[in-house]
Amino acid sequence: MLRITLAQMRRSAGRLAAAGVAIVIGTAFVAATLLASGVITRMTYDSVAAQYGDADLVVGATQDAPLDVDALAATDGVAAVAPVTAIYAELTDGARSVYQSVVPTADDRLMPLEVTAGAMPSAAGEIALPADVADRLGVTLGDTVDVGRDVVGDDGSWRQVTETPAVVGLLDDPFGAYARTGGAAVVDAATYTTWQTEARGEPVAVTEAAVVVADGTDVTAAQSALAGTVGGATSTDSAPWVVTTDERAAESAAELTGGQDLMFLVFVLTFAAVALVVAGLVITNTFQVLVAQRARTLALLRCVGADKAQVGRSVLTEAAILGLVASVAGVLLGTALGQTALWVAHALDVPVPLPGAVALTWQVVVVPVLVGTVVTVGAALVPARVATRVAPLAALRPADSPSTSRRAGKVRLVLSLLTAAVGFGLLAAGAALGTVWQEPTLGLLAGIAGGALSFVGVAVGAVFWLPRVAAAAGRLVAASGPTARLAAANTLRNPRRTATTSTALLIGVTLVAMMTTGAASARTSLTAALDEQFPVDVMVTSTASDADGEQEALSGELRADVAAVDGVRATTDVSEILVRATSGAGSAATWLPLTAIDPAGGAEVLNAPDVLADLEPGTVLLGEVQAQDLALGTGDSVELTDTDGAVTVTVAVGASGDTSYLTTDDLAALSSDASVTGMYLALDDGVDAASAVGAIQDVVADSGESAQVTGVASQRALFDQVIDTMLGIVVGLLAVAVVIALIGVANTLSLSVIERRRESATLRAIGLSKAQLRGMLAIEGLLIAGVGAVLGVVLGLVYGWAGAGAALGIMGDVSLSVPWLEITLVLVVALVAGLVASVAPARTALKASPVEALATE
Amino acid sequence: MDTTVYVPIDDGARDAVAPTDHVPAVRARALTKTYGTGQAQVRALDGVDVDFAAGRFTAIMGPSGSGKSTLMHLLAGLDSATSGQAFLGTTDVTALGDKALTRLRRDRVGFVFQQFNLLPMFTAEQNITLPVELAGGTVDRAWFDTLVTTLGLSERLTHRPSELSGGQQQRVAIARALIAQPEVVFADEPTGNLDSRSGVEVLSFLRRSVRELGRTIIMVTHDPTAAAYADRVVLIADGRIAGEISDPTPEAVLAGLDALRSLETPVSDDVTPAGA
Ligand SMILES: Nc1ncnc2c1ncn2[C@@H]1O[C@H](COP(=O)(O)OP(=O)(O)O)[C@@H](O)[C@H]1O
Ligand SMILES: [Mg+2]
Repeated sequence: MLRITLAQMRRSAGRLAAAGVAIVIGTAFVAATLLASGVITRMTYDSVAAQYGDADLVVGATQDAPLDVDALAATDGVAAVAPVTAIYAELTDGARSVYQSVVPTADDRLMPLEVTAGAMPSAAGEIALPADVADRLGVTLGDTVDVGRDVVGDDGSWRQVTETPAVVGLLDDPFGAYARTGGAAVVDAATYTTWQTEARGEPVAVTEAAVVVADGTDVTAAQSALAGTVGGATSTDSAPWVVTTDERAAESAAELTGGQDLMFLVFVLTFAAVALVVAGLVITNTFQVLVAQRARTLALLRCVGADKAQVGRSVLTEAAILGLVASVAGVLLGTALGQTALWVAHALDVPVPLPGAVALTWQVVVVPVLVGTVVTVGAALVPARVATRVAPLAALRPADSPSTSRRAGKVRLVLSLLTAAVGFGLLAAGAALGTVWQEPTLGLLAGIAGGALSFVGVAVGAVFWLPRVAAAAGRLVAASGPTARLAAANTLRNPRRTATTSTALLIGVTLVAMMTTGAASARTSLTAALDEQFPVDVMVTSTASDADGEQEALSGELRADVAAVDGVRATTDVSEILVRATSGAGSAATWLPLTAIDPAGGAEVLNAPDVLADLEPGTVLLGEVQAQDLALGTGDSVELTDTDGAVTVTVAVGASGDTSYLTTDDLAALSSDASVTGMYLALDDGVDAASAVGAIQDVVADSGESAQVTGVASQRALFDQVIDTMLGIVVGLLAVAVVIALIGVANTLSLSVIERRRESATLRAIGLSKAQLRGMLAIEGLLIAGVGAVLGVVLGLVYGWAGAGAALGIMGDVSLSVPWLEITLVLVVALVAGLVASVAPARTALKASPVEALATE
Repeated sequence: MDTTVYVPIDDGARDAVAPTDHVPAVRARALTKTYGTGQAQVRALDGVDVDFAAGRFTAIMGPSGSGKSTLMHLLAGLDSATSGQAFLGTTDVTALGDKALTRLRRDRVGFVFQQFNLLPMFTAEQNITLPVELAGGTVDRAWFDTLVTTLGLSERLTHRPSELSGGQQQRVAIARALIAQPEVVFADEPTGNLDSRSGVEVLSFLRRSVRELGRTIIMVTHDPTAAAYADRVVLIADGRIAGEISDPTPEAVLAGLDALRSLETPVSDDVTPAGA
């Protein structure tokens, strides 16, 4: 039987190969993920291990019973000892400063940093800086740099002392020992001890030290000797301890990443799982078609004595061989991809120390191969069962193009309807929990469960409803002519096959659409929330105060300069004052911070212009918090008093967040000499907020005035960037599933074309032109891909909105956005891919000469 | 069997090429086809010269492997000739490119296949009208009704192929071949997949198409009974024209085949004497 299986595989090699590609990609994804996770672990380990330089052993102790470095150094077989320690100091040159970790000089063998220019410091008043830090500060060898360090006085008070050591060396960190702390500066050991002691107010205990063993000394012997010295063990189970550097590094790396790498693994593998499910669908489809096409051969086998089990086993063996071969290819591809990525990263000089090669552990090989094979065999189970149902009698029936129009079971229909109904119910409940009851955690949980459940229902039931949708779409295109009518009819002749193919695409597209919709909704909701909380793009506020503690004015010159900055659309001046508010006769006056603004100018610059709608002379617009503090509501009156007088104004409690506004006219009545202490700026639409804010900051810095620039614009840009990055990663990961599904579309089409050889030839014989045949297949591709993509987008929108409702409801009104650009892009990609998928099958179909229509067998 | 003289039916569209009994609709001149090269070379057709009259039902008859199908493929422009020419009316089909051949197949030639080759997803009516639609034309309803009535398909138009008997399917195929009013219809073993009753039915319809509807049909068969329905039988053996029989009867065809057999080296065994 195996011989027959192999022979059949050879005959169907091309068709199997196409389906195998789906598994290759899926398993390559898994392998690459495992490799990446390995690289991350390795990087952490390497960087931790690098801290110890070339140390052989690491000795550790607790704060209560610290290490005696001299005793360690005096131990037999020890060549050098260095405490593992670091402090922080602020390095300043002129206007620029860097917060930097500082370490002491040590024996060369224990120092992971390399001197690229100059030398290591050897005396007080010298310092070596990481080359990039020196660059940033604009200092070079021979310059001095200000080092601000903390000193604790005897009375426990803190002060900052500034030293000005000379830069004697520039450093490189080739192994990334201090990559996590942004590099390290080096001062000589004695200076370091002084700084460290003064920063603590008392000598600091050494709790960890790296040890180099003398040449010719056995490391194990030295380890025992050191254990004797400190009176400890040779494992870290109890302190003090003496362990090899490798052991220590492995342990610290594990502590550092602590489950993070596992989270990364689970996160990415989720997407790999989606890709594999889609690949499974492609495999199921392929085997279903193969079994249908082989019906006669299978029947013949049954006729000559093969039993059901043998036929079924033959299909499964075929799947196992395909899965195994494809998975091994996938591991190779994944490894090649991982290695290429490393090479590219090395070539691009990324600033993190990367290992030179991926580490091929047994897990990297075995897990994907196992998963890939199991998925392939699992996907072939149903087709194998179909194969066992081929009756021996079928061998005697005339060969006709097989059609699997077998009706899907009632049980399946009921199950899928139930699952979908319960799922969508849960989803709605999740959205309601988030928006109405403000329970985001519960809402998200219900939403995720509901989303997953309903999607299973939708996918399982696809065989019932998807062909109907395809039929409707087919009727639409069929009107355009006979080619389209042929295509539409072809799409419907194997509803199950069309459903599986479209479902594979549906999965990926739904998830992509869901993510983009969710992201777009999150973006709009966050922006709306930010606008409400921070009503202006950028604020420039004076930070200097005069002798009386009054805020100093911003000069007119500075205001003009700021207004002239590129990207600033409009500005309006504000005065921030503190007045006394009295809400009724006899009640005590309360201090009330007010921002005086011209309502018209304010409306120009505010992101939510409605905020100032109620502000007019004679009113004060109170923030909700202040209104509460003062126990005032809209329509109440309040008396405001300042240096030059008092006004009584009507209260309006608005949506102004935690800022209270007064008109500039009323301000004049209160205080004749109130000066402009700040300005509100609006940026042009679409301008790069971060660079505009940077330019404004530069103008302020150049003016010499003390003012603070705060920009919700740059904050919003940051949010956008975070959302975009997350979205990019997720969509990138999902793209794998979409690519596999598109391979599935091409595969289904070419299988159909092979099956319809005689039919294509007949059509050619009765006058179908080559272009029409190509067109017919193109429309088939478009229909299959289009239906999957459009339905995926619709489902994705529903899921995205429900998710946004569940998660973001707590932030206020959730805006349901439609990410038109992304959705259009997804649809265009799917349709173009559908078209492209028809190219190769069309070529096969065109090879069928009309003569074949007349051939007998 | 009497050979009625062909009376052109009133059909304006065909006046330009108005075939008469003596104008050949299809001609072959020194038509040669070889398959393969070297040792494995097969001379399927070897310098065939033959004329097929318009408005007549001609059978090409010969033992299996004698080159009947090959001759038909070349005449219909389905396959390319190694040398020689094949004319449809005045058009040399051996000189046409794919586009021109497609147009020729749409407008001037019809086919009936042994395996019916109907499209399973279309109804009988959709199958019949497909060639006209592919050509972007409009179906001539009167002609359609004539065809459907003549072929006895009126009650079956909404059925799909799977719901039709073999004979009915082949009649649909004949209607499909005739719908565009082609100059000639080629049929390759049209009764090969039918039981004898359905076969007789189909052959009668083919003959009626010629007699009553004025069509030209060239049919390939190895069945003498089938050949006897034709007006004329062209005998072919070993890729050459080996004779012809006018107004054939099954007995005359059998005799002709026997004559071939005695001339030729043993012919393959599936020249089955007619059972009916
Ligand atoms: N595509 C082909 N390749 C090689 N030889 C062929 C091919 N088609 C037909 N032949 C050979 O040409 C000869 C005539 O075939 P054919 O015209 O099909 O005979 P018939 O239809 O009379 O049975 C046969 O010997 C056959 O083997
Ligand atoms: Mg033949």
